[in-house]
Amino acid sequence: MLKFIVRRLLLLVPILIGLSFLVFIWIRALPGGPAEALLGERATPEAIAKIERDYGLNKPITVQYWDYVKTTATGDLGTSVTTRRAVTDELKQRFPATIELAIAAMLFSLLGIPLGFFAAKHYGKAIDSASLFVSLLGVSVPIFFLAILLKYVFAVQLGWLPTTGRVDARIDFDHPTNFYLLDSLWTGDFSIFWDCVKHLILPAIALGSIPLAIIARITRAAVLDVQNEDYVRVARAKGLSPREVDSRHVLRNALLPIITIIGLQTGLLLSGAVLTETVFAWPGIGTWLVDAIRSRNFPVLQGGILFVSVIFVLVNLAVDVTYAIVNPKIRVS
Amino acid sequence: MSVAELEAREVGLEGPSSGLWSEAWRRLRHNPSAIVGFVMVGTFVFVALFAPLIATHDPLEQDLSLLNGGCCPGPSAEHWFGVDALGRDLFSRVVYGARYSLLIGVVSVAVGLSIGLLIGAIAGYAGGWVDSLLMRLMDIMLSIPGLLLAIGIVAALGPGLVQIMIAVGVTQIPIFARLLRGSILATKETDYILAARSVGIRGRVILSSHVIPNSISPVIVQGTLALATAIIDVAGLGFLGLGPQDPSTPEWGTMLTDTTRYLQTAPFLALIPGAAIVISVLGFNLIGDGLREALDPRFRGRA
Amino acid sequence: MRLSRFWFVFPLAAIALAFAAAGCGGSSKSGSSGSGGELVFGTAADPVVLDGALVSDGESLRPIDQMFEGLVTLKDGTTEVVPALATSWKADPAGTAWTFNLRENVKFHDGTDFNAEAVCFNFDRWYNFKGPFQEQSATYYWQTVFGGFSDGKTPSLYKSCEAKDDHTVVINLTKPSASFLGALALSNFTIASPTALKKYGADKGSVDEETGFKPTGTYGTQHPTGTGPFKFVSWTRGDRLVMERNDDYWGDKAKLDRLIFRPIADNAARLQALQSGEIQGYDLVEPQDIKTIEGDDNLQILDRPAFNVGYVTINQKVPPFDKIEVRQAVAAGLDRDAVVKNFYAGRGEVAKAFMPPSLEGYADDVQTYTYDPAKAKSLLQKAGVQMPLKVDFWYPTDVSRPYMPDPKRNFEAFAASLNKSGFKVVPHSAPWSPDYVGRVDGGKAGALNLIGWTGDYGDPDNFIGTFFQQPTDQFGFQNEEIFNTLNKAERETDSAKRTELYQEANREIMKFLPGVPYVHTKPALAFQSNVKGYVPSPVSLEPFSIVSIEK
Repeated sequence: MLKFIVRRLLLLVPILIGLSFLVFIWIRALPGGPAEALLGERATPEAIAKIERDYGLNKPITVQYWDYVKTTATGDLGTSVTTRRAVTDELKQRFPATIELAIAAMLFSLLGIPLGFFAAKHYGKAIDSASLFVSLLGVSVPIFFLAILLKYVFAVQLGWLPTTGRVDARIDFDHPTNFYLLDSLWTGDFSIFWDCVKHLILPAIALGSIPLAIIARITRAAVLDVQNEDYVRVARAKGLSPREVDSRHVLRNALLPIITIIGLQTGLLLSGAVLTETVFAWPGIGTWLVDAIRSRNFPVLQGGILFVSVIFVLVNLAVDVTYAIVNPKIRVS
Repeated sequence: MSVAELEAREVGLEGPSSGLWSEAWRRLRHNPSAIVGFVMVGTFVFVALFAPLIATHDPLEQDLSLLNGGCCPGPSAEHWFGVDALGRDLFSRVVYGARYSLLIGVVSVAVGLSIGLLIGAIAGYAGGWVDSLLMRLMDIMLSIPGLLLAIGIVAALGPGLVQIMIAVGVTQIPIFARLLRGSILATKETDYILAARSVGIRGRVILSSHVIPNSISPVIVQGTLALATAIIDVAGLGFLGLGPQDPSTPEWGTMLTDTTRYLQTAPFLALIPGAAIVISVLGFNLIGDGLREALDPRFRGRA
Repeated sequence: MRLSRFWFVFPLAAIALAFAAAGCGGSSKSGSSGSGGELVFGTAADPVVLDGALVSDGESLRPIDQMFEGLVTLKDGTTEVVPALATSWKADPAGTAWTFNLRENVKFHDGTDFNAEAVCFNFDRWYNFKGPFQEQSATYYWQTVFGGFSDGKTPSLYKSCEAKDDHTVVINLTKPSASFLGALALSNFTIASPTALKKYGADKGSVDEETGFKPTGTYGTQHPTGTGPFKFVSWTRGDRLVMERNDDYWGDKAKLDRLIFRPIADNAARLQALQSGEIQGYDLVEPQDIKTIEGDDNLQILDRPAFNVGYVTINQKVPPFDKIEVRQAVAAGLDRDAVVKNFYAGRGEVAKAFMPPSLEGYADDVQTYTYDPAKAKSLLQKAGVQMPLKVDFWYPTDVSRPYMPDPKRNFEAFAASLNKSGFKVVPHSAPWSPDYVGRVDGGKAGALNLIGWTGDYGDPDNFIGTFFQQPTDQFGFQNEEIFNTLNKAERETDSAKRTELYQEANREIMKFLPGVPYVHTKPALAFQSNVKGYVPSPVSLEPFSIVSIEK
């Protein structure tokens, strides 16, 4: 098992290298050349010359790449073209917002587990078909469309929930970590915490709708599979009550593929965050990257995409390791 | 081994392939969801192909006098889905939009599928360091979440309909590559292939008559689902403003972006193209899902 | 292990609890305690920087107007010049030395005194801007009003500033100017605390040719220090800008306790935020939403007087648009009536000239053009061009302007009518920020592009003088007749003669047709019904100090 983990960790290295290389090449493939991309298109000749010196664009490409790796490894991801702040600083501000949203969406999508379980138990009946239909509907609705509709119905028409941002504009509180839920709990003022939660609900539902549909279906499939396995039949024959059979054998073994799928949703969540954040004016990585595309803020795009991908790779690694821990087959081998 | 055994093995070689398909088709026909999916997709493709005959007006023709100083007149006898902010018939625009969506889906998936299958076939069949290298490349591509990869590609290529089709297609390459490679690896090791090899049947023949047909089924399933995702992803990119640069293009995703501002005054402008996207994507998903269940060997033998 | 029950109950209960509590809480937007209350205003974007000298965009100027004051200002809702930090003023007989008597006992927000020395410090700071700070993107308004800087590369209207005593300052000009006093009301000439300017590195930073000043000091982002009725509290980009009442203000104190600006880029999202009570007001209401807002008892619409113009630039550097017949064909190929009637919800009027009718110098008898595709085609034939004439037509994206709430919509309608009139339109677009304006100004936005202008002060010079008094890259022409008329008009001190000259200029311009103006609009603001006292201004100089929230 340790061997497995070490092997996976080692695999990480070429992937990260390949990723950094891909991003490195990408910046140089952009229209206008890297200097203009990093400065903003209409750069003066003096500024371009300075960038060329700073980034060593006149040096051979291997040296450039090595310099790039060195600077990135130290955490220097460049300077944003529009705000002139360090990309890492903006990242520190934006990333917790997206993480909070992603975790909330993930929690919402866990509702898929009981839904899938329920559908599996009623396999073949109308309810099963209906739930299948609904979950497929869930993956067929574009996220931004769903977000807009949710906003319109729940915020505007019903007035239950707010439409924009992470917290009401009039509330003051310190958010040192930028994880609003944590920071607001720390202040001890529950009404602030509650306001943050309210702002989180609609975006989390919109973002989590697709993972919810997928998790529901995978749960259903996994439960169906396990149900027909021999050991379950044995357990039933032994006289265990259906509920005990379910909890002790079915669910526990069905959990394996479910856990894998949950981890794999990270990619969907990160992608979907881009669209969801735009609709709710959520100040996270998504809106940051969309603004960066519009203003051709390539340092931000480069740093942002690289960072998000690294996180994604690490999460996948964590999922693989968890899977290895939980799956007895791998543990033994 | 005896000739009898050989013949028995020959029969065994053919068995899985044809039986699998006819069995799958039978199951598909009895799956209500899949049937609904076929109907939806059938309608979608029909409308896309025969758009000029089905549309009631020119989708680009503006008639500002219909707006009467505001926006926008809803469904009427003359304009079945109503009229958009520039006085264009919405029904015709939605109908022609089906063409764009079909084109987008097909091209993106074609890009992803062809390149992905090529890479997967090479990796799967060649094995060794070629396999490792190609799969590491695919892993790197997969390490960037789908939409972000597409955004990165569009940033490099510039915005436009063709560019987002390519971008979405490229994001699908690793999925197909991995799929085919996995399939090939799995079939490569099966008994009957080993047997065929040991009897002396040439590699090329094995590949074309046995390995590939058995690997195709997951690819078909994935292809259908990929069509669905392609349509949604392109709509998303269009929503971010990276889509067709000619604003009058009747593409469903861009139609959605322009019309969300009228949600409170003329909601049908956004709801109808949105519903069109949902229906066509849902259709493909239903078919893909039905196919997956139909072709899954584990379900064989069950009711 | 009761796994199954655990899974079912917990997430469902959490969601149910959330909704129940959301319902209980309702949409209560509790303000803080205090008589004045807090007002959250939805803006379209973040300010660039809070330093009047180095910005020209409306969203930067809005908070600057609340925190800073100049020597003079405009009477609420008008373009009439009234005292602000100066109580009275006089020009010498030559018209080149203006003496201002300053208000006494005024302090900056950091406690330092406002006096003549401070005034001169500010003026000299602007006059001494060097290098990249002389880009139009950084100091547009200084250059429009005064021209050049201390390095003498371009002649300047400004000569020097003398602090005669603590409360008397003399500003010396190089020549007499009729528009100088009105221009001083511009937010760009507000007076900031010299102590703060120095302490927080107000001049540190870089200037991008297209997108303007990027500060590295903290003055313009964390320590803007003026004399106004509101003072700065905090600014988090993308989130909110917070100001609070200045209790040491020399005049009528602000009624509100706190004023918060929250940027919400999407227009529909701003409306939704207003309807849900998250903001109490916003600017740039889209025409189709006006009816929705008027129909809601909790909301109200306020009109800004029409003081803008939307027009189509014709870049004469692009052949064959240097031919007058081709330009006339463009005018005959634009269905302006249909666009103005249908896209502006009754708040637009078709424009005949490049300045609004309310401004002196407007001439009603200028040459007019009507939509006539057949005539356009025959004009093109007369010009000897091959039809359909390919034309690159640009429009901006991701923006909503007071004169052009939906640029794409205007573009599509105009493109369609041009295509019927012997043209073949090739569409091009660029995001408003950072690119579009720079492109248009630099003449790099095709033969035709959509743009417009909102007046900054009540003088025709601010409209047609800015556009046509000298050769520009945007319009790409040399027409000495128009240049001369406008130059004469600017210098003319007799107001009756001045009006006549500007009217003459308008006639010449509309005959020459350097572009096709199409609309003047009455922009709208939306507020909750209990917000009282807001006075819309034609030049968007709108103080929140007189605004209050009725309980």
